[in-house]
Amino acid sequence: MGNSMIIGQFVPGNSLIHRLDPRTKIIIIFFYVIVVFFANNVMSYSLLTIFVVISIISTFIPLRFIVKGLTPVWFLIIFTFLLHLFLTKEGPVVFELLSVKFHLGGIIQGLVISLRFCLLILMTSLLTLTTTPIEITDAIESLLHPLNKVKFPVHELALMMSISLRFIPTLMQETDKISKAQASRGVDFRTGPVKERIKAIIPLLVPLFVSAFKRAEELAMAMEARGYQGGEGRTKLRELSYRKRDIIIFIIFVLVVIGLFIVRN
Amino acid sequence: MDITFKQVSYTYQPNTPFAHEALKNITFHIPSGAFVAIIGHTGSGKSTLIQHLNGLLTPTTGEVSVGNHLLSSEKKLKEMKKLRSKVGVVFQYPEHQLFEETVEKDIAFGPENFGVPAETIKKRIKEILPKVGLSDDFLERSPFELSGGQMRRVAIAGVLASKPNVYVLDEPTAGLDPKGQKEIMDMFYQLHKEEQVTTILVTHSMEDALKYSDYLIILNKGEKYMEGRPEEILTQEEALQKVHLQVPESFQFLKQYNETFNATIPLTNQTPKEIAAHIKQTL
Repeated sequence: MGNSMIIGQFVPGNSLIHRLDPRTKIIIIFFYVIVVFFANNVMSYSLLTIFVVISIISTFIPLRFIVKGLTPVWFLIIFTFLLHLFLTKEGPVVFELLSVKFHLGGIIQGLVISLRFCLLILMTSLLTLTTTPIEITDAIESLLHPLNKVKFPVHELALMMSISLRFIPTLMQETDKISKAQASRGVDFRTGPVKERIKAIIPLLVPLFVSAFKRAEELAMAMEARGYQGGEGRTKLRELSYRKRDIIIFIIFVLVVIGLFIVRN
Repeated sequence: MDITFKQVSYTYQPNTPFAHEALKNITFHIPSGAFVAIIGHTGSGKSTLIQHLNGLLTPTTGEVSVGNHLLSSEKKLKEMKKLRSKVGVVFQYPEHQLFEETVEKDIAFGPENFGVPAETIKKRIKEILPKVGLSDDFLERSPFELSGGQMRRVAIAGVLASKPNVYVLDEPTAGLDPKGQKEIMDMFYQLHKEEQVTTILVTHSMEDALKYSDYLIILNKGEKYMEGRPEEILTQEEALQKVHLQVPESFQFLKQYNETFNATIPLTNQTPKEIAAHIKQTL
């Protein structure tokens, strides 16, 4: 189940990118996502593309795996490309097919938007590919820490996040298990009319909800029994700290951004 | 139904960094009507293996044949439903699969999917309930208000109601109290004899394997480690210890007794009474 889906799937490794402080990665990706929208010519786009490509290569995650993981998004990318191709009527007509005119502006626009899409998805999936969910929540908690001053429940939010992340694989396993059990009892999830297939979900969802509620109750009980109390005064097992490599990466990123603003017109 | 595995290998998530070969080159044959125990440590590939029996998984390489159904990587089986109606799988903790409003509806769910007429299903439910140790007044109750042991029985009844020719039992007694364990295993054994089905039992328990099965397959790290009749396997204590399996004490006792007193008490399928009678004879 979910064999081809990599968004949210961590690949263990020991590359520089893996070892970066998760906050560094989040901050850089956050700004990268903004900066992508400032690119407006060939030079600026190639600069951003090179940055992503080098980042990907330096993770040592097999490229084949990354490309395969993007398959669910290809549809979206191709769809947006076609949308622009048919609907943008700018610039000279390049060619005509079955009385539909294809404009140069449309083709360029389509390519640019698709590239932007690819860059955004690659960059963000790079975070989840190289960072464990726990590290991500730790980083978010640390980054949101200033909000504590305005009585925003940062710690509780982070705890909720890490609990839900923690239970995604468990629920996936459970879904797999129950769907197999029901398939053995003759449920057909894959073929047949749509109405039947929707009905086939009920024997899957009911047991899944039952066990999710049971699990939540057990977890609450276990936390209560161990005297859990969040927030104020609670120390951490893994303290996050910025190192030399984080600073170097920040400097490189800032240089890339400065470079981008120089080459864009 | 005869079951044959021919050089079956299975890899989870192939071509990814998570690729994991759970079964390696497994070959065996189970004749129709046999009671086979598949034994192995956690992670030895037992659960992966049994999922091949009703087409939940298809082998990455090799071939599995169940009766006249053939499963292989190249060929997609068309009559999957037919195969699944013939192979009844009781998964670990089968009570997790209950979902209907009443016990009756839940038991009827499997046979309904396989196209058994409603009248026949009603008749079967009446037959099965006492066998799994439940009474008729359970039928109208919600499965979610029953105790764990009762839920387990309902779930098992739900699998048996399809009248499969092959029982696949994945640790069917895990988490039950000793009395419940014995009742459930005795029931399966009884049905195995009565209905003349082929039974494949996955278990950690050497005692159960010795008591009920007439053939053992031992898996270790995805490979077939040993196979044979219980008396052949259980005498090889050292080999078993290497894969963290203990020979049951009753078996060790009989073996020691035979050696010490030069006796020839059969090592398997003996009730305590029979053993006592044998011992009386030799003394």
